[in-house]
Amino acid sequence: MLSYPTVRTSLIFLAIALVGLLFADIAITANNPWRDLGNFFLGVLTPNFFSSEGLLTALLRTVAFAFVGVTVGGVCGFFLALVYRFLPVRVFCAFIRAIHELFWALIFLQFFGFHPLTGVLAIAIPYSGIFAKVYSEILEEADPEPGRLLPPGTGTIAAFLYTKIPDCWVQLITYTAYRLECGLRSSAILGFVGLPTLGFYLETSFSQGMYSDAGAMLILFYVLIATIPLWVRPKLLPVYIVGAPFFLGDGLPIVWGNVERFFTEDIVPSPLRDGEGLAGLLPWLNELMVEQALPGIWNTVILTQIALVATGILTLLLFPLISNHFGGPIRRTSGHVFLVIARSTPEYILAYILLQLWGPSMLPAVVALALHNGGIIGHLIGRQTNTIRLRSDAPKGLNRYGWELVPRVYRSFLAFLFYRWEIIMRETAILGILGIYTLGFYVDSAIQSIRFDQAMVLILITAMLNIGVDILGRYIRRKLALQTMPTC
Amino acid sequence: MAGFDLSGLTASFGGERVIGPLTLKVKEGDQVALVGKSGAGKSTLIRLIHQRVDGQSSLVPQELGLVNALPVFHNVFMGQLDKHATWYNTVTLVRPFKQDRKQVLELLDALRMSEKLWIPTASLSGGQRQRVAIARALYRNAPVLLADEPISALDGPMAHHVMKLLRDRFTTSVIALHDVEMAMKYCNRIVGIQNGQIALDEPTDQLAAADIMSLY
Amino acid sequence: MTQNLIRKLLIIGLCSLFTATASAKTFIFTAIPDEDETKLVERFRGIADYLSEELDADVKYIPVKSYAAAVSAFRNNQVQLAWFGGLSGVQARSLVPGSQAIAQGTEDQAFYVYFIAHESTGLDRQDSLPEEVRGKTFTFGSKGSTSGRLIPEYHIRETFGEAPEDVFSRVGFSGNHTRTLRLVESGTYEVGAMNYAVWEKELENDNIDTDAVKVIWKTPGFPNYQWSIRGDVDENYGEGFTDRVREALLSLDDPELLESFPRSAFIPASNDDYEPIRKVAKEIGIID
Repeated sequence: MLSYPTVRTSLIFLAIALVGLLFADIAITANNPWRDLGNFFLGVLTPNFFSSEGLLTALLRTVAFAFVGVTVGGVCGFFLALVYRFLPVRVFCAFIRAIHELFWALIFLQFFGFHPLTGVLAIAIPYSGIFAKVYSEILEEADPEPGRLLPPGTGTIAAFLYTKIPDCWVQLITYTAYRLECGLRSSAILGFVGLPTLGFYLETSFSQGMYSDAGAMLILFYVLIATIPLWVRPKLLPVYIVGAPFFLGDGLPIVWGNVERFFTEDIVPSPLRDGEGLAGLLPWLNELMVEQALPGIWNTVILTQIALVATGILTLLLFPLISNHFGGPIRRTSGHVFLVIARSTPEYILAYILLQLWGPSMLPAVVALALHNGGIIGHLIGRQTNTIRLRSDAPKGLNRYGWELVPRVYRSFLAFLFYRWEIIMRETAILGILGIYTLGFYVDSAIQSIRFDQAMVLILITAMLNIGVDILGRYIRRKLALQTMPTC
Repeated sequence: MAGFDLSGLTASFGGERVIGPLTLKVKEGDQVALVGKSGAGKSTLIRLIHQRVDGQSSLVPQELGLVNALPVFHNVFMGQLDKHATWYNTVTLVRPFKQDRKQVLELLDALRMSEKLWIPTASLSGGQRQRVAIARALYRNAPVLLADEPISALDGPMAHHVMKLLRDRFTTSVIALHDVEMAMKYCNRIVGIQNGQIALDEPTDQLAAADIMSLY
Repeated sequence: MTQNLIRKLLIIGLCSLFTATASAKTFIFTAIPDEDETKLVERFRGIADYLSEELDADVKYIPVKSYAAAVSAFRNNQVQLAWFGGLSGVQARSLVPGSQAIAQGTEDQAFYVYFIAHESTGLDRQDSLPEEVRGKTFTFGSKGSTSGRLIPEYHIRETFGEAPEDVFSRVGFSGNHTRTLRLVESGTYEVGAMNYAVWEKELENDNIDTDAVKVIWKTPGFPNYQWSIRGDVDENYGEGFTDRVREALLSLDDPELLESFPRSAFIPASNDDYEPIRKVAKEIGIID
């Protein structure tokens, strides 16, 4: 077995995670975590849909921000995709998508404040980067032959519209619709930093232990996501896109002077602002690195590696839940429901819930990341096993799992896992806002003490780290010849 | 420019020469049939000519090069994208203009598939797809026709009908054919390809089918 | 790229068209989120109604999710008035030239922090911060809070001569005072530091399980909460507007509203009252 590169790579990552566990802060610090967890589930079972007057408005805003954000991101991403072959464009896109939506929101909050634009841009900017990459990959896959046959002198735009777009149309639409679902999740968590979406009310009810209210919001959110195929119809899309900007809410007016101040003063490193020049800059940077960036990077990397392996293990345990090769229809249906809930709940919300219940440590973050990502990959792998035809005398039960199915899906399992490596790291960094000492914690602390210069440097470091992991993940996938489709 | 004179035609694949060097001169009025064993280099030669004449030709490639997601009309219309402004082409993509609809419909009528005008090409049969590619070449209306096995998927009467149409519409053409009988019936000059070289080049009326069979 | 930029600008234009029409001359205020939001919204909607009537202007309260968001909104002139803690007030006023503290609660002249502990620690009320808290888990309130962060950190450093991370086995930030109380009450953290007024109010309302959590030390007094107003308010809302706001706040005598803070009354305040807070914050390194 060890001669397989995939197995060797898996074992190396497992070993790294085990070593990471020695350094990680894993504990349940709450005195009575199971009682709280019980109260929470009781709350979900006894949802209170009429608690907050704002609940429906919040749902509406969540949808509106998702639509406007994804639309703007899609349009920008499309134009970026056309010039994606140029290196500076690729670097630019990699950079903007390496910064999490919540970080973008925190940045825009500082100068746009509670204007809807903050939420729209927080979604649109990173999504542009992602759209640009995936769209350009899709367009590249288009059949080049019809383009070669066009009469010379055909305009570039006409050629593009006739030979590229129709060929890729279905894929472009499918991916965009998929991103809309991601957009709903992003939109919901923006509420945690103060935008008027679902997260705002979820945070309020949760922090006050009003689990029935929180349960109602979560249930509505799942229903919203699960019914996407019903209410997102191609014919209705123009209506949604034109209508959505009107439902973003008023927010507070933008004061443009703040924008200028942010870029010309706030984010200029304080030694430069105070006229100490380069002599003051080095000690400033040094202190920032030693006291905040390095501990943040260390914790982010450790948590990411543990969460990655935990995701992998959980995926391998979860995919049989929806596989046709095991169990009856009832088991499979409940398996589907569980996986839908696991993957529809944003990591951030899962981590927030678990942190409230179990107390602060890396454990709630690991579990949250593993549940969400394991839910996504488990669903995809489970579906893949359903296309496998086994010989009629194939073994049953554990033997079927170990000898027939896992070997067949292991490569695509690894492909998805390494694809999500960078996503897990991006989320890990952001979970710091909840109080785990990853990079997000230090970014949040810098913002809380109105030190945007430090916050920006830390966000840049986070972006670089993500880009690094993205490159490494792609290198490993190429090395192992793993192929995958994009997930979010 | 209706004829062409090409010399030094070569093509290599994986370091191995598959064509040439050869010289081919085609005058206006020449209706050339390329014949030879499969793998002799006919398709490659057609491609080479297409590149060398700078696209001033109506091409029917073996793989057809249709945009499957578009209806028949748009696939045919693509033959004249260079004749219109971008805005015109863009509008046509959404809602074609009447005069274009009429022209394309006439062509399809000649190919006996006018009822398929708005059907996506993906849902057509192999023979119908081949006729769409031919319609596109006709609509393109370039001075030279370059076609690579244009009737391979058509049944007997339709094959004859299409070959006749191509002969009547294009005074100058180079058509790769594996059917020697068809070649002799609809072309006035036969060029035989063997191992990437021209092994035979005679007017049709000076040849018998047996002369050609030696190539196979 | 240019196309991309034009698109963005177009969208920005569109968005602001839809939204900038709101609140031409509405007077907006906020407050630091130091307690459960439901209570804050109830309290400050009452204040908004009161001020609307007194000032004969459209007055609106907007809730925010963090202390920094309150400071930023004040700094960015998206709110003109704010109920700040000692530290957030100092931060905000240093960022907005001309802004001033105009009123504080009577109790805010000498405010206190309670160090509280879970019963499992076995700690009792003492006259100083007990040595036994070393090695326990500890939670502050918000990172930008005066009574939840600044003052407790100051006293921890004074007592132990070390940073909180070195004194305690685990240091967290609960977010606000109510949550600090709940987290220590449930034993998630063994020790915490919180605003004494929130404790007393919850105690009075019978919301504390006194068998599970108790106060182990009360700090010396320090100046805390205040209403701060921007310096350009007179310019934008009319001559003498600042004075009218101050007057309205000082003459607030609705017992129910005052009880919700809880404060017995509002009295005049000035920026200088908060000089001690600024010094401590600078000493600890929370502000530059």
